[in-house]
This record gives sequence, C-alpha cells and structure tokens, in this order.
Amino acid sequence: MNEDLWLEQLAETIPLEESVLAPSCLKSRVYSALILAAESEGPLLPLTETKQAGRGLCVFEHLVQILPSPDAVQSFQYCKVCHARVLGERVENAPIYWPCCPYSEFQNR
Amino acid sequence: MRRDVRLPVALPNSHESDLALAQAVVARDRKAAAEFVQIHSDALYRYVRSRLQPRFEFVEDIVQEVFLTAWKSLPRYRGEAPLRSWLLGIARHKVEDHYRERLRIIPLPDEAEDTLPLVGPDIDAALDQARAQQAAGKILTALPEIYRLVLLWRYWEHRSAEEMAERTGKTPKAIERLLARARQEFRALWLAPSHE
Repeated sequence: MNEDLWLEQLAETIPLEESVLAPSCLKSRVYSALILAAESEGPLLPLTETKQAGRGLCVFEHLVQILPSPDAVQSFQYCKVCHARVLGERVENAPIYWPCCPYSEFQNR
Repeated sequence: MRRDVRLPVALPNSHESDLALAQAVVARDRKAAAEFVQIHSDALYRYVRSRLQPRFEFVEDIVQEVFLTAWKSLPRYRGEAPLRSWLLGIARHKVEDHYRERLRIIPLPDEAEDTLPLVGPDIDAALDQARAQQAAGKILTALPEIYRLVLLWRYWEHRSAEEMAERTGKTPKAIERLLARARQEFRALWLAPSHE
C-alpha cells in the first residue's frame, strides 16, 4: 500500500473529533451575536408570539408579556440589560439558574 | 409570523422539525435562536476544533462565523438535508478558508530531495481505533503547521492536490511536493516508538 492510500484509509478510520462540549461562554456570545444580527434586520418577534409558538419565557419576559404593551415593548431584547447575559458571555459555567433563560441553558452542567 | 420576513419553504420529504426551527429563527423568534445555538453548537465546535488542532485560538471565532453565515443563509434552507449536515457544510467551508489563508501566509519549506513516497505502515497491525485516534491527533499536533494543514485538508477533508492548488494559488506540483513531505514526516512519527 502506498503512503497516499495509507493516509486515506487512516483518515477514513480515524475521525479526530473528541467528545468535548462547546464552552458556555461561546454559546452565549454566539447567541448574543445572532440576536444583534436579527435586530439589525427588523424587530424581534413579540414575546406573545414566541409564547404562542410554545417557547418558554424567563420571569422578566413573562412580566413584559402579560402587560398591555405595544409591539415595540414586546419586541425589545431584554437580555441586553440582564446580568445573566453579562455573566454568560464572560464566565464559564456561570451561576445562572433562571428557568427559560438561554444564558442559563447554555451552561454545561 | 411577521410579513416582512422571507421564510424558508419546505421541499417534499423535508426534515420537518429542522425546517420549523429554521423558520422560527428567520422569523426572529429569540427563543428559537437560542434553541438553534443550543442544539448545534457542540457538534460544530467539535468539528472545527478537530480540524484546527492544536491552533485552538481560532476555533471560537470560526464557530461564531459559521452561525452568523448560517443565519444569513437560513431563508434558503429547504429541509432537504438535516440542519446539522447543512451547518457542518458551512463549517467545512470556513475551515477550508482558514487553511487557504494560513497556507498563503506560511512560507513553503525549502526544496529538498524527495526520498519518498514509500510503502505506508499497516494501520490494523499497529493500533486499535481509540489508540490510533489518539496517536494521529498527537502526531498532527507535533507536525509543523504547514504539514498539518495540508494533511488535514487532503485526507480528512478529501480535497485533491489540484483543488488545494486552485484555492491557494500555488501550483499543483508545489502542493504535491508539500504533501509528499508532510506524509513523510507523519509516517516517520507514526513509526517512531514514542508516538503513543
């Protein structure tokens, strides 16, 4: 067997991927970047519609969602002003435990 | 769903749950975006990390670029393939962009007489799968970056020397010579008693 073929077979049998998880800080930063990009295209889906689609809201979003508020208020990204985002982006496995908070759910616990 | 959003359209036999998630992300549902990141980030991270080892400092930026590129392209996702495969396809392009960029920057080693190619060692006889994976990872890490990149590109990303030459602006002959020397180095380390 020549070296070229040998390496082809080696690569075929050896995937190289290790069983590691993406750091929670990376997931948090990626999510923040995606939301920023989404906001640059237009308003986010109002929280009421997110809830109707069956997706959970955190306690702060829930408060906003039950208030009689216009779409602009419902579409605001409250994570921007939340300590959970700041912690999630900077601290690996940050002590965030809010239910339905993306930054809490990104933690590798 | 908001009327100003161009949603992905399903093809027959599409991956329905993947398509539904893509549609929700495109509709700017923040929680769908979180689910999108949560579901796919580990696989993308693992893939990019394996292809960039040991230069892990580039991994996180590339993973973020993959997600942002995917987000821009999601309206064109039709569910004809699993979302994971579609994302890994984007990741593969990003990794190849990285290889191309690094190969442009790193100078080619001095020309030398090629004593190889010779016969490759027997994989099966040498190691079991787990040990072989560990050994290959170690050897790739130990190689000079330019050798590591061409080997990963050629054998783990299945690109021909011609394709690599075209994408880097080098001649196919230069890439072939580089590959020959990279194989030679890899083989020498593989056969060395200390490579495990």
